[in-house]
Amino acid sequence: MLRRILLFPPVWISLIVVVAASTLPLYVSGYILGLLTIAYYFGVFSMAWDLLFGFANEVNFGPTFLIGLGAYTAGILDNLYQPPIFVCVAAGAFAAVTGGVALALPALRMRGPYFGLMTLVAVLMLQNFVVVAAELTGGEIGLTVPDVISIDDKVNYWIALGFMTFSGAVLYGLSRSPVGLILQASGQDAVQAGALGFNLTKHKLAAFIVSAFFSGLAGALMVFYLGAASVGTFIDVTVGVQVIIGAVIGGRRTILGAAIGAVFLIAMGEALRPLGDLATFIVSGMALFVVLAFPGGLLGMVKGAREAT
Amino acid sequence: MLFWQILIAGFAISSLYALGATGFTLIFGVTGVLNLSHGAIMVAAAVAAWAASESLGVGSYLGAVFGILTGLLLSLATYFLVVGRLQKSRKIREEEKEIFILTATLLWGIMIQEAIAYLYTNNAKTVAPIVEGVVSILGVRTPANEVFTAVVCWLSIGALWYFVNGTRAGKAVLAASMNPRGVTLLGIELSSVYFAAWAIYGVLAGIAGVLLGMFFGVSSYSAGPLTASAFSIVVLGGLGSVYGTLIAAYVVGYLETLTAYLVSPAYRTIPALLLLVVVMYVRPRGLLGRR
Amino acid sequence: MSAADVYLEVKGLFKRFRGLTAVKDVSFSIKAGEILGLIGPNGSGKSTVMKSILGVEPPDGGSVRVNGVEVAGWPPHKIAQLGVGMVFQHSRPLHRQTVLENIVLGLLPDKLLDFFPDPAIEARARAIAERVGLGAALDRRPSTLPFADLRRIELAKAIARNPKVVLVDEPFAGLTARETAAFAKLIGEMRDDGRAVLVVDHNVKSVAALVDRIFAMYVGERIAEGTVQEVMQNETVRRVYLGGALETAARPESAFRDAQKPFLEVHNLNVFYGKAQALENVSIHVHQGEFVAIVGLNGAGKTTLFNAISGLAPYVGEIRRQGQSLRGKTAASIARDGIVQSPEGRELFTEMTVRENLDMGGGRLKEKDRVERLEWLFDLFPILKERANQTAGTLSGGEQQMLAIARALMMKPDLLILDEPTLGLAPRIMEQISKALERLRQTTPITVLLGEQNVTFALPHADRVYVLEHARIVWEGDPSRFASEVGERYL
Repeated sequence: MLRRILLFPPVWISLIVVVAASTLPLYVSGYILGLLTIAYYFGVFSMAWDLLFGFANEVNFGPTFLIGLGAYTAGILDNLYQPPIFVCVAAGAFAAVTGGVALALPALRMRGPYFGLMTLVAVLMLQNFVVVAAELTGGEIGLTVPDVISIDDKVNYWIALGFMTFSGAVLYGLSRSPVGLILQASGQDAVQAGALGFNLTKHKLAAFIVSAFFSGLAGALMVFYLGAASVGTFIDVTVGVQVIIGAVIGGRRTILGAAIGAVFLIAMGEALRPLGDLATFIVSGMALFVVLAFPGGLLGMVKGAREAT
Repeated sequence: MLFWQILIAGFAISSLYALGATGFTLIFGVTGVLNLSHGAIMVAAAVAAWAASESLGVGSYLGAVFGILTGLLLSLATYFLVVGRLQKSRKIREEEKEIFILTATLLWGIMIQEAIAYLYTNNAKTVAPIVEGVVSILGVRTPANEVFTAVVCWLSIGALWYFVNGTRAGKAVLAASMNPRGVTLLGIELSSVYFAAWAIYGVLAGIAGVLLGMFFGVSSYSAGPLTASAFSIVVLGGLGSVYGTLIAAYVVGYLETLTAYLVSPAYRTIPALLLLVVVMYVRPRGLLGRR
Repeated sequence: MSAADVYLEVKGLFKRFRGLTAVKDVSFSIKAGEILGLIGPNGSGKSTVMKSILGVEPPDGGSVRVNGVEVAGWPPHKIAQLGVGMVFQHSRPLHRQTVLENIVLGLLPDKLLDFFPDPAIEARARAIAERVGLGAALDRRPSTLPFADLRRIELAKAIARNPKVVLVDEPFAGLTARETAAFAKLIGEMRDDGRAVLVVDHNVKSVAALVDRIFAMYVGERIAEGTVQEVMQNETVRRVYLGGALETAARPESAFRDAQKPFLEVHNLNVFYGKAQALENVSIHVHQGEFVAIVGLNGAGKTTLFNAISGLAPYVGEIRRQGQSLRGKTAASIARDGIVQSPEGRELFTEMTVRENLDMGGGRLKEKDRVERLEWLFDLFPILKERANQTAGTLSGGEQQMLAIARALMMKPDLLILDEPTLGLAPRIMEQISKALERLRQTTPITVLLGEQNVTFALPHADRVYVLEHARIVWEGDPSRFASEVGERYL
């Protein structure tokens, strides 16, 4: 069984990539390590999003609602009571899950664009709350936390890489498991899934919880990497857009593609930074091009070269 | 006194929202597309008007025309470069097209927004109003611009109404929102209908954008919130119902004005958001929604 | 024959959709080891009955009992778990998964914490695949499989959980004769396994050999029940499906001026919907001024043929109007040039009034022409004049049909295509439409292509008849020969 898993191409290719990536700190600058650290956290954001969209077929326009909940809960808790970091992170994950459930309940009764709107509204509300409750949250300026996980670039990098690998393994594993199969069926053909005896509400709610958990966890961890949280890094719609686009250009429904897309997007954004404001324009342009020309995403482009499906 | 102030200011703002949201609803009703670059197009129109009247010095009236033209051109570009290609694409399954179109219009909107920021910085710009000075309505000193805004908005909505109900081309557009196949069967090219719809939308968004620029001012950061507000109004009123959109625009406009005057301008957008959440939980179809 | 043997019992089923009664007082029961055929044309309510049993559309009244348990109003997954399997009419596999994985899906329990594949489930999936004939295709993806294999996947999924009741929707649509025989055998085996099987179809003939009993429906109600023989002899059934006596008033082909070069020519038309072949080497021709009827049951391919002619469906082959190929023209331009369709779905603008719908049709006429045309149509269909200011969506089925035809006529077509104009209509309305058609034929030079499954309605208006069956033209000739040569097959 384990052998079968290891021999599966996406698995061993990913393992090789991860191993290679873990050697980077030996010869790459701190600046690039920092960039990749953020990129890896975004990789988790995008993978969590892909689970929800790619499988359960629920388009979430406000992943930053969940991410922001996780990040700010962890940050605020640390500011107020300074408990150990892992407690804050756990609290962040828990807050995100609660938020995810609150979002899921009406979502499961809506179809089409309404749910998407609901998620966007959730983000705007969170944003407004953060700005208005500035005492607690640092408002528009943002909030700094007294603790960080580490000040060493290399350590932070490995933690982020390890976390992304772990999350990727779990999410990908879920997507290939029987439960993942049921989720895909629920997303692709609700009537058929019902006729086969599956309780859709139960499964989609579970998907929300898992997605929320990883989003919140990643958000909370990232706060303790950056040492700060702000609307611009965790909540703003543009951040959410990056998460979604990363997943879409990487290749929907592949989980792994989402990570690739996110990393690509962040790396591109940084690489083009010398161009100033034009950078976002170019990156969006590239992403738009991928959406128009390669609906299967980056991973789809690669797979297409191998399979003739 | 305050009551009249709120009534009048609220009316002007609501009219502006109504115009923007009507355009958004029109495109959704006829083509099924939720155009997430809506706000960006409006901002682009406003900035174009500003650039023309300030930098090129053509005066506010011509500047406004320039702005509206920009709205029209961007809207058509959205259709031809982005939406139309996805709609006709054979590589994507029908059920998936919606998410692709949403993502693509979102990206397109960001591109427009960033291009504006790059070319003109992201500082707020106010477009020189066409009408200046102050008039007195019911004893309240009101900027003439506000009156102008409300009048233009309603004239535009009225023109749209006349077009859709009184002209053959307009009826074809209306019919397409009910049954696209029926339109084709009657010998009318859907592609022409879509072109007309996007063109009208571009003009409406352009007018709304320019007026907004004169009223409040815009910056490249306004694009997102503008799209969100149009989206919210349309959903509140009920996707697909123009009357619903108009009513919802006034509800939202007045909620915002009341909050700004009675509580604080910083909290303007909150009650409308709360209302939206409540409506989503209780009656997802919106006020007068059908679909 | 104890009560315990009755696996499915439906009593007094009632369902309304927004003012329309879709199903009224339908009752039947199926025992273990029995196959019941639920027969009815489109619009008869059979799909609604199926959806009520499955839980997709809860009934407004009546009861549905599965193995004695009342399930009306239950959510679909609970009904499925109780032991009801469904073979959908349209194959819906998961495209990214292999055949094996698709069948495994049918076997998975509804558990949240199911993380590791169970080898026992996989083994059972393989066994089921073998049984339905998919043994060789297990590791392939659905998009690489032929149509019949996709149907086998549906069969496999339906019986995977060993259900007591199996519903099969249009089992043989799109299958060749040999595949049909194979599937019939598989469905027969379901019965032999002791299951209660409900086969839903629109054609008695195609399932006659398979079913034990038949329950025939029309416009939401039962019209006959009994053995195949009994139902086929039943007066009402014959009238509804075949109509009454056949009269004809055909003009011979030589009477048409364009005898050598017909107005419309269709050569070797082939149309595919994904894997299924909807039309196979179909060739027809229509002379100017002629009334041609294409007779065939639902699903035979009539609509596909009309859509190809109207430019609404891609095709392989040739379609020529007055010698000029129609390929490459947009659907709207084909309509503008004079080939106008009144489709099966009517496609009215439901929120516009009758008058506005008609005006849309006459949009390109000059004002005077339009008014004249409108008057003429109001004369042809007086009820439309009465309802001129009523919203199209509030009209009755028959009125909507007349509006659809009238709207098409507003375009002054050279060739009018009528797709199933009498579907689901009461006989009285059919009369009115029949009269209108007769007037059209007598007083105008219009050419008509009429697609109908109701042979008695079609024949009196036809100069020539084509029979379309399972995507092929199987007979062509004049109406008087139809009854003797082909008529019997139409029940």
